[in-house]
Amino acid sequence: MAASPWEGEGGEVRRCSERRQKPSHAEDRGTTAMTSSWKQQLVQVLLVLVSCGHGDTKTAAPTPTPLPPVTPLKQDAKSAVLTGKNFTERVELSSPVNMTLSCTWKGDQDKPPNITGHWRKDGQEIQDSRVTVMLEDENYKLIQVFSVVSEKDLGNYSCVFGNEARIDFILEVLQMGEKRDKPVVSYIRDFVVMTCKVEENKPIPTTWNWYTSNGTDKEQINTTASKRFKIVSEERETKLKVKDLTLDDAGQYYCGAVYPIGTSVGQVELKVITFMEPLKPFITILIEVVVLVAAILLYERSRAKKDSAEGTQTNAEQNTEPQGDDKGAEGNDSVRQRK
Amino acid sequence: MPPAAVTNLGYVPPDGGWGWAVVVGAFISIGFSYAFPKSLTIYFKEIQEYFSVSYSEIAWVSSVMLASMYAGGPVSSILVNRYGSRPVVMVGGLMVSIAMVLASLGTTIIHLYLCVGVIGGFGLAFNLQPALTIIGTYFQVKRPLANGLAMTGSPVVLSTFAPLNQFLFDSFGWRGSFLVLGSIVLNCCVAGALMRPVDKRVRFKPSDGPPRCEGGAAEEAAEVDVSAQSADPAPEDGPAESKSQSYISRYIDFSLFRHNGFLIYLSGSVVMFFGFFAPVVFLAPYAKHQGTDEYSAALLLSIFALVDMFIRPITGFIGNSKWVRPRIQYFFSFAVSYNGVCHLLCPLASGYEGLVVYAVFYGLAFGMLSALLFEALMDLVGAHRFSSAVGLVTIIECGPVLLGPPISGALVDTFRDYKYMYYACGIFMLVPGIFFFIMHYYNYKKVNEELMQSALVISNNKEALQLRINQDDETMKSKYGLDTVD
Repeated sequence: MAASPWEGEGGEVRRCSERRQKPSHAEDRGTTAMTSSWKQQLVQVLLVLVSCGHGDTKTAAPTPTPLPPVTPLKQDAKSAVLTGKNFTERVELSSPVNMTLSCTWKGDQDKPPNITGHWRKDGQEIQDSRVTVMLEDENYKLIQVFSVVSEKDLGNYSCVFGNEARIDFILEVLQMGEKRDKPVVSYIRDFVVMTCKVEENKPIPTTWNWYTSNGTDKEQINTTASKRFKIVSEERETKLKVKDLTLDDAGQYYCGAVYPIGTSVGQVELKVITFMEPLKPFITILIEVVVLVAAILLYERSRAKKDSAEGTQTNAEQNTEPQGDDKGAEGNDSVRQRK
Repeated sequence: MPPAAVTNLGYVPPDGGWGWAVVVGAFISIGFSYAFPKSLTIYFKEIQEYFSVSYSEIAWVSSVMLASMYAGGPVSSILVNRYGSRPVVMVGGLMVSIAMVLASLGTTIIHLYLCVGVIGGFGLAFNLQPALTIIGTYFQVKRPLANGLAMTGSPVVLSTFAPLNQFLFDSFGWRGSFLVLGSIVLNCCVAGALMRPVDKRVRFKPSDGPPRCEGGAAEEAAEVDVSAQSADPAPEDGPAESKSQSYISRYIDFSLFRHNGFLIYLSGSVVMFFGFFAPVVFLAPYAKHQGTDEYSAALLLSIFALVDMFIRPITGFIGNSKWVRPRIQYFFSFAVSYNGVCHLLCPLASGYEGLVVYAVFYGLAFGMLSALLFEALMDLVGAHRFSSAVGLVTIIECGPVLLGPPISGALVDTFRDYKYMYYACGIFMLVPGIFFFIMHYYNYKKVNEELMQSALVISNNKEALQLRINQDDETMKSKYGLDTVD
């Protein structure tokens, strides 16, 4: 058993198996909350020292001493202050971490000097997590460190004060941005490219997978098995190209970004239609245009005929007059004669 | 200036009647020409993924389309001079439609460049020019109002296309949308059908041009082109000079380059267009840079378009009023300068409210300028030379229009701050505005002097003619005197 992860400032090196029997001491230590962060680190380290099998106490069945990872786990801390009855905070993770969760509660109208607090995971109370919380600076505080190593360690961690006041920390794999809620539309015998991206400031996934929905299950797409599928993955982006589409290809597709902690799943819906679909509005509008153009031109033709019918009459009258003007008074005479 | 142009037309424009139907047709054509390239950008993301190309490669489609639209100007002018507005618009509508249908079947990005970019762009050019030209033939007294109303087509069609394109895209993907857009664009043919050639049966005869019975605007335009010069009335050496013009000049009037007003307009607008479109393009990115979310940034553009939509007919109406019409070039210069001032003050806008205020003022400025853009040119060169003038102007403006946004983008990238781009655009518009004010002051003076001179000449001629008529009458009377008495 490597001693290094468990060595702390106190210089106390204990073997994990020794300390697993008395987790309550750790809880007591945890409640003497210190406000500054390095002090929290110290407490945290001491806690880890004192109760290194902590991860096991969250689940009902005791597990054998976990093999410590070769590289030390990263540390992280999240805290929340509760003023009402309920509060939820989402925490996105990508790699294994020792997560310190600290809850502060302002208390009710009557503030008893101590109350009972405990922790829950996914609604189930964590064994041996009940502690007595002292009132300090008008606040009650609960702090706990959780070792989040694999996907089963993710979930909803809640600290509960008394029986009602609760803060939820939802630990989950980091979600992909740019959720596409509208389906991608493509045509039969055409191809389609579906993309999934991870935002710039988020960590890069280890690998990408694509899944297609098979009933209620997700089935991973194997590009060597079916030639129609092609996956091109870069660091932050993955593309699934499906060639020679048929109507059966329509449905949900899932892209999975694999992180050390778990897989983050994004969803893309594919819709496959025939070329007849857009052809219908096309023909409708085409007919409308032809009808309008014909109507306008016919209206003009009929007006032109009317005008020319009148026009020949007026022209005849006009033709006679100029000749009359030239000859002055005699013109009038000649016009009268013509008439 | 207006009185001089009337005598040059050779007929009295209806100023109403079927003219309003023509305005509707022009509204549709102008709307499609300006709004269509801008609205296609909504498809670019998916097309980019489909063809696996970079964003700049797909943006080329828009640029090629815009470039073709402006480069097609002179070709359009020649065709309008020869065949009139109606056939050109209908052919243009068909071209864009075929282009979109072919593009929907496209297999490579080059296919899209050719279809949507080149053919589509030319088709739109064949819509824009004739629409503007025909308004000049139908309206004289109410022309600024007609122009303002027709130019309103651009923001209205753009606002309609934005949600429509989104709907089409969600329903049919990009291929199906291109197909349906191909049919929607056929409505330009309907617009063309409305553009009946104006009835040029002579109501009163000018001093030299023979009367003509009907449309055949082509020969008419060439004929009147030959017989009349610029809006400054020229003495009798006009016809003699024009008859020696070469073959190509019958179709496109290069003598415009000797026209002072045209040169003023051209030089000013070349500088102006560098800063004309860039602020619109960068309004949303600037807002996001300031920290507003996407929806609020999009709302800014909607506010801008809404204000633009309403100010255009209002500007047309103001331009038509009897105080502004004779001095409409000053109104145009004011609009250009106002744009410049607006951009220079933009960096002072703080927070989202400041941006909203800026969007409103910019909408006012942009709409005012757009409504007057072609009216000013028509006012300077007269209706029958307008076709050639606008062709030459658009092909020369092609450069600034295409270079403007990339230069602004480069400014933003180098300085990492949007305010320098706004200062630059402000200068690009303020300097031509002031230039217009000064030059038109001198131009108006010169034109008024020439008007007075020619008025004197005409009145002298009239008197001489009157004398001769009286003399003829007397000789006639003396010859046939006894017979006429009844």
